[in-house]
Amino acid sequence: MTKYAIRRVLALLPVFLVVTGIVFLLIHLVPGDPIDNLVRAGSDPEQRAAIARAYGLDRSLVEQYLTWMGHLAQGDLGTAIVQRRPVADLIAENIGYSLALGGSALAFSAIVGVLAGVVAASFQDRPLDRMLMGAALIGSTVPSFWLGLLMILLFAVELGWVPVSGARHWTSVILPAATVGLAGMALVARVTRIAMVQTARADFVTLLHANGVSRFAIQSRHLLRHALVPVLTLLSLRIGLIVGGSVTVEYVFARPGLGSLLIRAINQRDYPVIQGCLLMLAVAVMLGTLIGDLLQAAMDPRQREEQRS
Amino acid sequence: MSPLLGVRDLAVTFGAQRPLDDVGFRVERGEILGLVGESGSGKSITAMTVMGLLPLVGGRVAAGSIRFEDTELVGLEEPAYRRLRGGRIALITQNPMTSLDPMVRIGRQVDRGARLHLGLDAATARARTLELMERMRIPDAARVCELHPHQLSGGMKQRIVIAMALSGAPDLLIADEPTTALDVIVQAQIVQLLVELVREQRLGLVLITHDMGLVAQACDRVAVMYCGRIVESGPVDTMFAAPRHPYTRALTACIPRPGLRHGDLVGIPGAVPSVAEMPTGCRFHPRCADAMPTCRQHAPRSVAIGADHAVACRLVEPAPEAAP
Ligand SMILES: Nc1ncnc2c1ncn2[C@@H]1O[C@H](COP(=O)(O)OP(=O)(O)OP(=O)(O)O)[C@@H](O)[C@H]1O
Ligand SMILES: [Mg+2]
Repeated sequence: MTKYAIRRVLALLPVFLVVTGIVFLLIHLVPGDPIDNLVRAGSDPEQRAAIARAYGLDRSLVEQYLTWMGHLAQGDLGTAIVQRRPVADLIAENIGYSLALGGSALAFSAIVGVLAGVVAASFQDRPLDRMLMGAALIGSTVPSFWLGLLMILLFAVELGWVPVSGARHWTSVILPAATVGLAGMALVARVTRIAMVQTARADFVTLLHANGVSRFAIQSRHLLRHALVPVLTLLSLRIGLIVGGSVTVEYVFARPGLGSLLIRAINQRDYPVIQGCLLMLAVAVMLGTLIGDLLQAAMDPRQREEQRS
Repeated sequence: MSPLLGVRDLAVTFGAQRPLDDVGFRVERGEILGLVGESGSGKSITAMTVMGLLPLVGGRVAAGSIRFEDTELVGLEEPAYRRLRGGRIALITQNPMTSLDPMVRIGRQVDRGARLHLGLDAATARARTLELMERMRIPDAARVCELHPHQLSGGMKQRIVIAMALSGAPDLLIADEPTTALDVIVQAQIVQLLVELVREQRLGLVLITHDMGLVAQACDRVAVMYCGRIVESGPVDTMFAAPRHPYTRALTACIPRPGLRHGDLVGIPGAVPSVAEMPTGCRFHPRCADAMPTCRQHAPRSVAIGADHAVACRLVEPAPEAAP
């Protein structure tokens, strides 16, 4: 298992390099000269050259990349152009909010989704099952924004149970997390149900029944475990969507976080901040997928074997 | 004394279909009953019915009785049935590849019967598991306990499945084609183990198979099933020496023997009818060379024609019964 983990981490290194390359090149890929955004209109060539030198923009791309990577390795993400503060500090201020939102959204998808799937599977083809799966179908197709706005109207404006926006109280994370996690929750519910129903037909389950194991023990100790394997795959695949969804949902709910920071930076063309945020988001997706893979391997002995050969 | 297992007039329905009808057989302690028949004749359904697992596949008992020692199993409450399953009656299934939970270590899977039905604690149950595995001639049992199913061969897995079935110390084993998925040599070893177990511990064994050679080699008595009915049953010697039902005769003629030339083996013409379009009267009549007009209309009753030998065929019935 340790070997497997090390190999998975090593496999991420090239991905990480490609990601940093893309994030770095971003500044040169977007139309327009980055310097145009740094200088006031009407500055003379002398001033432009000074600024280019200050940001290292006069050197070759490779050189610039290596310098940037060197700084990155020391945790230096550069200085924000507008706020004139280290990008690392800005990220540190905001990342906690994003982690709270992403984590809650993931937990919401996983816990509520698995519970709904298990209940539906236990009541297979009965009204409760039909109801839950109908709701899951709607949940996975309805656009989460529309639903987010509806939820703001109902729970925050009408009922006043949770704050409309911001992040001053822990309850303020509920609505955005539900908005981001809803589609995932619905998918997890469906995958859990299908996996449980399918596994229930396996010969070994018949043998468990034939051994006098109770229905509850079969469901909780065997079927659920089998169902969690595809659920984990699904969740680790959704981490990207959750991270992406959080970016916009933060904005909709006026929550501080990497997403809000990123969108503000984009509006202000603050490249160091954009680079820093994108890098953080990419790393979040990579780490999330890695953790998903490792958990899956820890659970399913066959998985480890297959990967080894 | 009542037999270990006695099934009488058993009928099973799946909605409008009736894959078992008027099934009857019995098994004594220390006896191996072969339950044979073509694919789809209802052997597995019979096993599931005795195990009380029909609801799992969506069927129900429509009529008849299943007596295990002095307990009537038809209509038995689920908690009581659950204590019997694994504790008094155990099942061995056909495909060892899929009969073990791929995510659980072998040892824990075998331990369970003893923990559940004998009330043993973890350590004692494991000791029993090791003992059972050794009896199943599984080398290096302690190491095997720590493995996952995909690390074992098919033959080894089937031994594990048998050890699992024995863990709760049952009195009756129902083995549904326990060797079909294995190669010939392993088949012979597994059958040998089962026979030894039955003799040593005086268990009852229902050996479900479509291999007449296996029946001849291992069983004491045999019940032949066709389209959800038992057409003939009796001691193996009698049944092979003097089969009375045309279907049994055709089946025994199908066994390859030394000295048989190519072309001597004849199959049974025609195919097994589907449950949806079951023939009227005797269900074998469309394929029977000796069918009479009456066979099309009246289902034959099972009649005793000797010590422990019963046949359901008009040809051997003393007198045709009145039309119902
Ligand atoms: N879940 C089910 N629902 C409806 N009919 C079923 C079901 N399971 C089995 N049957 C029917 O019952 C009949 C007997 O099936 P069964 O599995 O007992 O045959 P078998 O004798 O074990 O055959 P095989 O040698 O292929 O294992 C079949 O004709 C099948 O169509
Ligand atoms: Mg079968």
